[in-house]
Amino acid sequence: MIDISLHLLDLLQNSAHAGASSISVLVVEDQEHDSLEVVVKDNGVGMDEREKELALDPFYSSSPGKRVGLGLPLVLQTAQMAGGKVSIESAPGSGTKVTVQYRLSHIDRQPLGDLASTLVSFMAGNPRVNICFLYKGPHGEFAFDSEKALQGIDTQYLGQVGAICQIEEKLREGLAKAGFKPDRGGLLFEVPRGAGTHQRGNPG
Amino acid sequence: MKSREELERIKEETLAEIRLRSSQGCPRIVVGMGTCGIAAGARETMLAIIDELRKRRRLDVTISETGCIGLCAKEPIVEVNIPGQPKIVYGNVDPSRARQIVLSHIINHKPIQGWVINVDEKKS
Repeated sequence: MIDISLHLLDLLQNSAHAGASSISVLVVEDQEHDSLEVVVKDNGVGMDEREKELALDPFYSSSPGKRVGLGLPLVLQTAQMAGGKVSIESAPGSGTKVTVQYRLSHIDRQPLGDLASTLVSFMAGNPRVNICFLYKGPHGEFAFDSEKALQGIDTQYLGQVGAICQIEEKLREGLAKAGFKPDRGGLLFEVPRGAGTHQRGNPG
Repeated sequence: MKSREELERIKEETLAEIRLRSSQGCPRIVVGMGTCGIAAGARETMLAIIDELRKRRRLDVTISETGCIGLCAKEPIVEVNIPGQPKIVYGNVDPSRARQIVLSHIINHKPIQGWVINVDEKKS
């Protein structure tokens, strides 16, 4: 994973996998306290104490038949590299809340990446999961509610390209207004073939 | 899962969702979005597919996603389902391959053989 927005996408996938129907995402860039915080809270099945501890173990997965589960361990690694930490609050039946903190000015902190791309690609694949997203940055803030954004679209068209394009426009516009700039270029950043394999191969 | 009724309810809901999502003869594209897929660039692949379909005014195509299918070395993996045709799975699909797949396979119904990693003859 080369930026934080990709980790966020992975956390969202975890929530969807846990059967969440509603996920709230909070991204706060706080220059005053030199912190960057990403919070993902879902209403999925939740984890018991044992699972919660094992969640950060790369050789544990809740999926049957899988012997590795790298999502959260990678998040933990990159947070720790940037003077931060990961905390998980969860209980069976009451969902899960994952909080990832970074030191904003830390030299090893990954770039935030393209949040709009993350949200669009997640909503494209999970049109029935409601997402509440709030971004607070030094220049402004932006709130997004997928339920509102999808109002008026017939449920049979959810997940189709037409509906996805509508969401994408709203997200990119809103984030740009809040002063958010994707750190890795704009829409559709494309890695040339063969280039950047070092970066891509690096789990951090 | 607590009871048989609940199991039945989940079955009904899931079947209804499957019917809806594989509906009405529209092509369906599935992108692998597990940790391995994301790390290999599945997000950009999916956005490239959406962008290419938008450019070509194929707004009826359904985009979907799946978790890790155990072929992490071939990620990003893209599966193309066109009703009445075999299900085809492509491997190592970067954004530029994704655009070519949309053009050749979805628009012109000619799968790109060189990138195929699996063909499921069962018609979707």
